[in-house]
Amino acid sequence: MLDVASLERQWLKYKIKQLLPYLFALLGSIALIVTFISFSDTNTSSSPPLKERVPTTLKKEPETTFKDETMDLEPSMQFIQSITPNVSENPPTTSIPVVVEKKTPPPHDPIASPTPVVKVPQPLKIPLSTPTAIHSNDTTTRTSIKRDSNTFDIHEIEDRFRNNSNPHLGLYIAHYHYDNGNYNEAYNYALKTNAINNTLEESWLIFAKSLVKLGKADQAKKTLQLYISQSNSEEAKNLLNTLNKEGGK
Amino acid sequence: MDHSLFSKPRDIFLDIVNPRDYVQIDSVSQMYQNLKTSVQKPLKMILLYGKPGTGKSMLLHKLHHDLSKHQKVFMIDIPIIDEGDFLRVLAQKIYSYVNREAITLTNFLELASAVNFTQAPIVLLDEAQLYSTALMEKIRLISDARALKFVITLHKTDDEDIIAKEHFQTRIWESIELKNASADELKVYIQKKLLKANCFDVANMFNDKNIRLISKLTKGNYREANKLMFSLFTLYTWYEENHPSKIKYNALNTKYIEMAALHTGLLHA
Repeated sequence: MLDVASLERQWLKYKIKQLLPYLFALLGSIALIVTFISFSDTNTSSSPPLKERVPTTLKKEPETTFKDETMDLEPSMQFIQSITPNVSENPPTTSIPVVVEKKTPPPHDPIASPTPVVKVPQPLKIPLSTPTAIHSNDTTTRTSIKRDSNTFDIHEIEDRFRNNSNPHLGLYIAHYHYDNGNYNEAYNYALKTNAINNTLEESWLIFAKSLVKLGKADQAKKTLQLYISQSNSEEAKNLLNTLNKEGGK
Repeated sequence: MDHSLFSKPRDIFLDIVNPRDYVQIDSVSQMYQNLKTSVQKPLKMILLYGKPGTGKSMLLHKLHHDLSKHQKVFMIDIPIIDEGDFLRVLAQKIYSYVNREAITLTNFLELASAVNFTQAPIVLLDEAQLYSTALMEKIRLISDARALKFVITLHKTDDEDIIAKEHFQTRIWESIELKNASADELKVYIQKKLLKANCFDVANMFNDKNIRLISKLTKGNYREANKLMFSLFTLYTWYEENHPSKIKYNALNTKYIEMAALHTGLLHA
């Protein structure tokens, strides 16, 4: 007689034994697929960094330049540089010099602070620091801005002003020197700017304020009066009134 | 009295060579007809060979069963190894010569020439590979003398191809090789056996999948198939008695076939 219970146990053992290779094959296949997928994932995920790493290494210098530039671009020398041709071609506007003036907040100046000149152009400050404007410049220029001080920048602008006699550059330089306490230089550049273009209100105001700082308040008042008679400028009137009041005190 | 549905099928697969259980299968039937035709020819020796379990003995028994109605046929299914005994038994069975002493070949040939048959008597020797070379040589001499016609069966093994032996190679005039059954032949074999015994319900339980598995397990060997079927129906008998709910009557359970194979040694756990 058959021992059916024993046979059933044997059969179970046999089935397990029979299915084991398939199970191993299945597990092996799954392991292979998983390994393959993870390997391919690793490749795909690791390759971009490698690609990126090389350019990063290569562009190490420019990248740093860019960073520094964003910090050093406060004076927006490059921007001015980049827009210089347009400025010379287009009719003169007060926006650019004013913007530059806003870039570097002027030192405490009792004369300049009450004037509306400082407040008006403030919104234009943003475009000057936008990346598009920065990117439009060449790498060499950016590098120089990054490394050098404002002094260098102003010298560069002065050189450019000497070359192209752009009244807006002259106005900027005058502003710069006035903000930095170089009233003689401010006076000279404002004078030159007025000689090139006598319709720039800002230039006349800087010129007058520089005279005041140099102790020539009377000459400043006369200059303002002359300018007011020609342009009827409200800003000039305000400044003249202020000077008169301070002179009265 | 056993009333199990599977007890009768179990018994018909008992590994007993009985010519009444002979199942007509196309290829085997063709071989059998060839064998019968060959026997009628003036041939001296006919060889049936094949691997164990291919149906040689069954065919020989069938031949003996059929020929004995018309002519003198003697079958030695259990080899007689001793030469003297072999000749003495032949003389007694063929020529009704009773002698307690061993007979020499010369005496046997004298006896054969003294007795006249219209048709040469046929001697069927099963498992001839067990006979010694010397005895086979004597059989050849008897055959050459046309005293007797021999039909012998041999195992064809992979290790030793007995047919290649000289005394068979030069003497045998006709040889028939029996091969293992194909899946279709095995299906016919099993179902015919069951139908012959009126086991219709059980015969219908065999589907192609079952047959393929059985054929794979037995490699088409009739003896192994018989053993497997016997174990299978023994299992079914047990389940029918103890767990009848586990039996599905529309098809054989693969599990039970495999269990039967484990029991018969066709599978190993």
